[in-house]
Amino acid sequence: MTDLSAHTKKFQKELNAGTSSLILLSVLSHSDAPMYGYQIAKMLEESGPDIPMMKQGTLYPVLRSLEENGLLESIVEPSVSGPPRRYYKITADGRAAKDEWIEIWKQTKQFVDANLKG
Amino acid sequence: MFNTIEDYLDALKKEMQGSDAALLQDAQTDAREHLSLALEAAREKAPAVSEAEALKPIIEEYGTPEETASAYQEIERRTSPSLKQVSKPGPGSIWAKIFGVYIDPRTWGSLLFTFITFVTGIIYFVLAVAGASISVSLLILIVGVPIAILFLLSVQGLALLEGRLVEALLGERMPRRPLFAQPGLSWLGRLKALLTDKHTWISMMYMLLQMPLGVVYFTLNIVLITLALSFMAAPVVQIFLNIPVVSLGTGPVLLPYWAMILMMISGFILLTLAMHLVRALGWFHGRYAKWMLVS
Repeated sequence: MTDLSAHTKKFQKELNAGTSSLILLSVLSHSDAPMYGYQIAKMLEESGPDIPMMKQGTLYPVLRSLEENGLLESIVEPSVSGPPRRYYKITADGRAAKDEWIEIWKQTKQFVDANLKG
Repeated sequence: MFNTIEDYLDALKKEMQGSDAALLQDAQTDAREHLSLALEAAREKAPAVSEAEALKPIIEEYGTPEETASAYQEIERRTSPSLKQVSKPGPGSIWAKIFGVYIDPRTWGSLLFTFITFVTGIIYFVLAVAGASISVSLLILIVGVPIAILFLLSVQGLALLEGRLVEALLGERMPRRPLFAQPGLSWLGRLKALLTDKHTWISMMYMLLQMPLGVVYFTLNIVLITLALSFMAAPVVQIFLNIPVVSLGTGPVLLPYWAMILMMISGFILLTLAMHLVRALGWFHGRYAKWMLVS
């Protein structure tokens, strides 16, 4: 592994740290029913090209931290086969946060794009 | 690379060595949920493929144990238990250290916890004793098996609940997700798994010990705090009601002013010491609960 790819990985990881929270909030705000981690991961997989380094395993800790901050809430439901599933649902605070975050994302995107053009 | 989900969970455990045991347990629960669901879906599509083969692309998507471990550690750094954040030792003076105990949320959390333990300790004790004796005596009949399983599962559930209580009031990081046995076991297999799990037994021991501990905590706190408060209140009562509230030697005596002041000061010192003791008990119990309930 060269140094360059390590830097790239780090850059991607840092970008993902912020965007994955926004993506998860947005996915859950569009869904009427509560969703569990695997379901969300599958949905994201189908929605677009694979983003490198956006591993499905990293979604779970983000879900947990969103829940601890009161933006999501969850319930555990047993399943017929396999371990119980944790279903996540967006809270009112979460919806408010999502709207604000989308604004920030739009501004950031504009700002970055404008500067990249040079 | 990984033949079974358990292999992956073991690798994750190795990768997270040194991080908090409770965080590891949460990470393993999430991984188990995701991997078993993904494996199940893969099996439906291609039943002939071996578990190891089927797991390969799934883990490719989920992330290596290393990546998963670092994701959890990264988030944990940002969200620590609410009371833990205030526990950094300030640069304050010796007086701030002594009297800061009154404004330290951990003191009040510990005080509340010791009172709650008095109640929960009795409940745990009764549940553990009644549950164990009913399960054991009914095991000769076949109905004993589901009852024993329900009882042992309730022990694990209560251990999780107690952990949440400990984290909220004492600030010690505890598991936020329950433990789960492998899926697809028969009733007897599940009972065996529960019986051979050391968590079950240590949790039960914890439940039994909560009663004596709760009584000791409660008595200690009540005795010390009421003693300190009555020392502080006695002179006030004497001044306003003009009746002797202190008995010395042969009978009640009216205290002179200097003795009243001395009494109030010693009451305050005693209260401060009691508060320090409460906080220390809370700290001790947090460690002890972590050691017993998370391993």
